[in-house]
Amino acid sequence: MICVAVTGKREETPLVSTLYFEWDQIVKPGQFVMVWLPDVGEIPMSLSITEGTKAITVKEYGPTSKALRNLEPGDRLFFRGPYGDSFTPAEGEVLLVGGGTGMASLRPLISLNSSAVVSARNEKELLFDDEFERERIFRVTDDGSAGVKGTPVDQLRSMDLERFSMLYVCGPEKMLKAVHDYLKGRNVKAEFSLERLMKCGIGICDSCSVDGYQLCRDGPVFDIESIGRMREFGVTKLTDSGRRVKI
Amino acid sequence: MPDISAKIAGLELENPLILASGILDENGYTMRRIMEEGAAAVVTKSIGIDERAGYRPPVIAEVDSGLLNAVGLANPGIESFGEEIEIALTAGKPVIGSIFASTVEDFVNLAEKMEKFSVSGVELNLSCPHVEGFGTEVGSDASLVEEIVTEIKKKISVPLFAKLSPNVSNMLEIAKAAERADAYVLINTVRGMSIDINARKPVLSNRYGGLSGSAIKPVGIRYVYEVKKETGKEIVGVGGIETGYDAIEYIMAGASALQIGTALFRHGRRVFDLVNGQINDFMAREKVDRIDELIGVAISG
Ligand SMILES: Cc1cc2nc3c(=O)[nH]c(=O)nc-3n(C[C@H](O)[C@H](O)[C@H](O)COP(=O)(O)O)c2cc1C
Ligand code: FES
Repeated sequence: MICVAVTGKREETPLVSTLYFEWDQIVKPGQFVMVWLPDVGEIPMSLSITEGTKAITVKEYGPTSKALRNLEPGDRLFFRGPYGDSFTPAEGEVLLVGGGTGMASLRPLISLNSSAVVSARNEKELLFDDEFERERIFRVTDDGSAGVKGTPVDQLRSMDLERFSMLYVCGPEKMLKAVHDYLKGRNVKAEFSLERLMKCGIGICDSCSVDGYQLCRDGPVFDIESIGRMREFGVTKLTDSGRRVKI
Repeated sequence: MPDISAKIAGLELENPLILASGILDENGYTMRRIMEEGAAAVVTKSIGIDERAGYRPPVIAEVDSGLLNAVGLANPGIESFGEEIEIALTAGKPVIGSIFASTVEDFVNLAEKMEKFSVSGVELNLSCPHVEGFGTEVGSDASLVEEIVTEIKKKISVPLFAKLSPNVSNMLEIAKAAERADAYVLINTVRGMSIDINARKPVLSNRYGGLSGSAIKPVGIRYVYEVKKETGKEIVGVGGIETGYDAIEYIMAGASALQIGTALFRHGRRVFDLVNGQINDFMAREKVDRIDELIGVAISG
C-alpha cells in the first residue's frame, strides 16, 4: 500500500473536494487508484490530475468517500495502483462529455484544444466547468439552473460533432448509454469510461465485469464500437452480493 | 501433438484447466468468456441459500507471491444465481456449481438446486477459511462432512467434488470422511494475515484472510500427493498454478485435473492458453501422449 501526505485541498462543489498529493509515478488520463481508509473502507478513485502533483476528486456518497473527503492537508492517504487502461491521446480539437463526477476522470484531458459538455443536477454541482474558456464550455443541468435544461444529448444535438477528432465521455451509465446511442452510426470517434462496483481493482473478484471484460483491467476506457457490443452495457449490473439488477 | 484432454469424475474436459471457485465467476458473462478464452470448465463462486453482500473492502490484498482475500462469501443466493449459470452454459462447456452452507439440509437443498440449473458437477466448499459458521468450521468436523457427502450423493446424479481445507489438523481424516464424493479438490486457501505498517492495522477489513497463489503451491502439492497416495481417489489440484510446469507438478503428485485462480491476477484471462501451451510443450518434449500417463508418477513408497 502506498502512503503519502495530502498536500492540498480544494472545495469544488458543495459535496465534492479535490485532494492533492505528491506521487512520483507515471499515470495516464483515465487510470484509477484504490484508496484505503483504514477501519472505513476502500474505493476506486480516478486521478483528476495525472501530471506533476497528482489529485483525486471525491464526492461524498457513502461512508468511505465521506471519510476521504474529510481528509485535510497533512493527513495520510493510503492507496494502491495505478490501475486500468487510459484514454487514447488525440490530435486536434477534442470534446469532453462529463456527467457529475465523471468530469474527474476527464479533468486530465483538459487542454487548449478541448471543449466540454459538462452536466450536473444543478448549477452548483457542475464540476470543472470554470476550467474552460467561455466559448469552449457547454453547461447542461437537470433543473435548468445553468445552460441547457436536460441531458448532454440535448446539447450534443445542436453541435457539429464531426469537427472533433475525438469525444471522451464519462458519467453515470444511463447518460453514457444515451450518449452512445446518439453517437452510434455518426462519423465520430469516441471513448467511454465505464463505472461499476470495484472490490479488488486487479481482475480477480468479478464485481466490475461487463460482458466478461473486467473494467479494472480491460477498461475502464472502451471505444464506442466495443461498448456497443456489450450486452450488459446500460442494461444490467451486479450488486455487491452479485445479484443482477436493472440499470 | 500430445493429447491434453482430461477426465475427472466422469467429466470429459478438452484440457485439464478449470477456473477455480471465487475468481471471476460471479457474472455469467465472465464465466462464458473465460471458457471461450481457454478454460475447459468453470467452478462458480460459492453460493449459499441467502444473499450475502460479503465483507466491506479491502477484501483482497497483494502479498509476496500471492494474494490474501476475505471476500466473505458474497453471493446473490441460490435462487438468483440460476440466471448466471444459464448465461455461462451458452459457452457449451461444463459448469460446476460451488456451494456452502452450515447444515446438512441446506447443503442438500443447494446441491439439488444446482443440479436443476443443469450444472455438470457440484463442488462442496468445506473449506472457506474466513467466515464463521461456514467453510472450515464445517469442513473440520469429520462426522458432519461424512453426513453432508452421504446425503447429497443420495439426491444428485451429477459428480460431487469435495473441496478440502489445509487449515485442519488432519486433512486425511476429513478426506476419508468425504470418501463418497466422486473426487477431491485440493486445496483451498491457507489462513493468513497482512498488516500495513504505516497504518499499523491489518489490511483486510476482516483482518484474517486466505492466502492463495504461488506462495501456497508447495502446500497444495504435498496434500495432493499425500491424499492420492493414501486414498487413490481422483483429485483436482489447485493452489498457485501459474505455469504449465506447476500444472505438470500437480499432475505428477496425483492430480487428474487442475484449477486456476490467482494466476489470473498476474497473467489475465490468457493464463489458460498460456498454461495449456506449456503443458503441451512439456509433453511433446518428454514424449508423453496423454495426461493420464503422468498422473501420480512421482508417488513412491
Ligand atoms: C478472491 C478469492 C476468492 C475465493 N473464493 C472462493 C470461494 O468462494 N469458494 C471456494 O471454494 N474457494 C474460493 N477461493 C479459493 C480458490 O478457489 C483456490 O482454492 C485458491 O485460491 C488456491 O488456488 P490459486 O492459488 O490458483 O488461487 C477463493 C480464492 C480467491 C483468491
Ligand atoms: S474490481 Fe475486481 S475484477 Fe475488477
